[in-house]
Amino acid sequence: MGFVIDVGKCTECKRCVIACSLAKTGVVRMRSSRIEIRPNWPEVPEIRLCRHEDCEGQPCIEACPVGAISNVDGVVLIDGEACIGCGACETVCPYHAIRIEDGKAFKCDLCGGDPACVHECVTGAIEYREVAE
Amino acid sequence: MTGSMSDRILRIDLGAKTSSLWAVPDDVRAYLGGIGYGVKILSDEVDPSIDPLSSENKIVLTVGPLTGTSVPMHAQTCLVTKSPLTGTILNSYAGGFLGPEIKFCGLDGIVLEDAAAEWSILLIDDASVRFESAEAIVGATTDEAEAYVKETYGADYRTLSIGPAGERAVAMAGTFSETRAFGRGGAGAVLGSKRIKAIGVRGTGGVATADPGAMRALTAQNMEVLRGARDDQYSLIGVFSKYGTGGGMPLVQGHGALPTKNHTYGSFDGAERIDGPFFEENLYTRRIACFGCPIHCGRIHKFSGADGGDLWGRGPEYETMFSLGSNLLNGNPETLAEANRLTELYGVDSLTTGVTIAWALEMAEAGELSAPGMDLKFGDPDSVLGLIHAICTREGIGDTLAKGPREAALELGQGSLGRAMQVKNSGFAAWMPRRMKGTGLAYATSNRGACHKRAPIGAEIVGAVDMDSYEGKAGLVIEIQDTVNAVFTLISCRFHEFVTDHEVYPKLVAAATGRAVSWSEMVTLGERIWNLEKLFNLKAGLTRADDKLPKKCLEPVLGETSQSSVIDEAKFEAMLDEYYELRGWDSDGAPEPRKLEELGIGDYAV
Repeated sequence: MGFVIDVGKCTECKRCVIACSLAKTGVVRMRSSRIEIRPNWPEVPEIRLCRHEDCEGQPCIEACPVGAISNVDGVVLIDGEACIGCGACETVCPYHAIRIEDGKAFKCDLCGGDPACVHECVTGAIEYREVAE
Repeated sequence: MTGSMSDRILRIDLGAKTSSLWAVPDDVRAYLGGIGYGVKILSDEVDPSIDPLSSENKIVLTVGPLTGTSVPMHAQTCLVTKSPLTGTILNSYAGGFLGPEIKFCGLDGIVLEDAAAEWSILLIDDASVRFESAEAIVGATTDEAEAYVKETYGADYRTLSIGPAGERAVAMAGTFSETRAFGRGGAGAVLGSKRIKAIGVRGTGGVATADPGAMRALTAQNMEVLRGARDDQYSLIGVFSKYGTGGGMPLVQGHGALPTKNHTYGSFDGAERIDGPFFEENLYTRRIACFGCPIHCGRIHKFSGADGGDLWGRGPEYETMFSLGSNLLNGNPETLAEANRLTELYGVDSLTTGVTIAWALEMAEAGELSAPGMDLKFGDPDSVLGLIHAICTREGIGDTLAKGPREAALELGQGSLGRAMQVKNSGFAAWMPRRMKGTGLAYATSNRGACHKRAPIGAEIVGAVDMDSYEGKAGLVIEIQDTVNAVFTLISCRFHEFVTDHEVYPKLVAAATGRAVSWSEMVTLGERIWNLEKLFNLKAGLTRADDKLPKKCLEPVLGETSQSSVIDEAKFEAMLDEYYELRGWDSDGAPEPRKLEELGIGDYAV
């Protein structure tokens, strides 16, 4: 299973961002979202989101000086307790999918395998499914 | 703090360069938000007799209880001010992302007071305000002004701007926000009179709700309804989703109701080259949405520019396909796209601009109007584009046209007033009063002039009521005006109400804010707001004579499919009498004291 992203279908409505922030913080707050839609007007936007298993090398894990990031059954997770907010992971992430606020790094945790963002995308720009090899 | 509302409004004194947070008092909170807040605040604080371009005018930007929440199709911001185009109180709307950003600032609105001494950029970060010089972007297009704000101060600012038209007090100048516009009523000229070239808004907060569980459930239900409508090719929502708002043009054309050649004909031979499906199928198209909207009726297209490079343009909306297309006999998609782009870059409302140009072309055809160096003709790209340039730079004939269709006709004289398709100096929207009698009454009675947002368009165009009949239309128009004002307190997108059961709105308000309000109370609130607007306009000097359609409506529409439709003056006046009576107004259109008492706004009597 993995994210399948077709940025050409993205209308920049940000329902994914709204759903993510609600799922993770209980309020609609764009800066708390684990998925980000960065406009590149008038061209298609950039969708910033962790690819987990599909990320080659998962450099954030290596970069973390305190071992706060790990791959648990294919899901890359940050241990918020252990994180020191140094930003090393943010710097190396090839998908610009890690953000830092209040001294802690945060990113997509796949919502336990059923990502909230995907349900809200009406155009199919983000899907989470098996990908044919 | 009540759920999704912060109960704080940011007041900015542009003259003193100071700002303060205003705790929204209970008598304002009773108006829920959106248009309610705007009309209440302007009615309380601005003398209706002032010159709209004087420093005494204010601009009230408001959001509502559902702005910035998970509920779809509540992206719009409401702007209320006294209009320099119509001389009435104005409510104007723009979608996009500005409204939610105001909410993320922890604000329910922003009030701009007085005027700046020099051209300025306002930067609003949460509740703090900075003034920056706009010297570097005076004269810039809306796109350039907004790009400047993002490049200079931060890409994450949501922006609002005026173009050269707003700087030059063109009466129909709009205020633009990224891909969207406050088009109607000349708010851009008001912002220009305050010497505000651009505004950046950046909020770091979140929007909480009173009952998150209920919000989640209601959002899911509403999304299911919208997904269904979106996938339904027979639903207007489905058509807008697939083709943009221009997707409905073939239907209107089929009814002989597409205003053509300054409303002379009801159908246009070139329509199939300028409608939504044409643009979608013949140009590279990106579908774009406002905050949280699954319908994405917005479009941007890529063209080949004159120099062979890529040229991006926002897709013309249906109303613009009329105003700069069929109504000018312009069946050239490139000219339409270029004209649409020019109105956005200069920052003018494409509707009233096109309607004014159509009038000028008719007068030129009749030999009553000429412009040195221009050969004015319907269907001629140079005339269309040339007059947009002239209006927005106020050069030559453009200086007259920049005052709006009624004022331009009064200046020209020669009996031309009856050929200007306007009410209260605001141009007709893309719907023909002669074909659709209720829509005609809605144009005549609208508090902001020739408005289609509160007209029985849907019922008339799909045949739910007889479009040609005067029967029962007064009551129908009142019901729609009050209903739409009710949902505009939440600033629901007009299309949201097409498919959403009205009883859902009070549930959404309760889940978002914890406040109990019934749908019938909301409709009464809509009526209260309508009456407050009317009282403002009466105090501004408007009379029954302003609730009138132009004389051209007394001549039959030409063209086979339009069935020689015409407005019968006696029947129309009788319908207007009936409308006033049902409203509880006297025969001059002034609300009776009893009606005002019933609505609890007796203090506002003229």
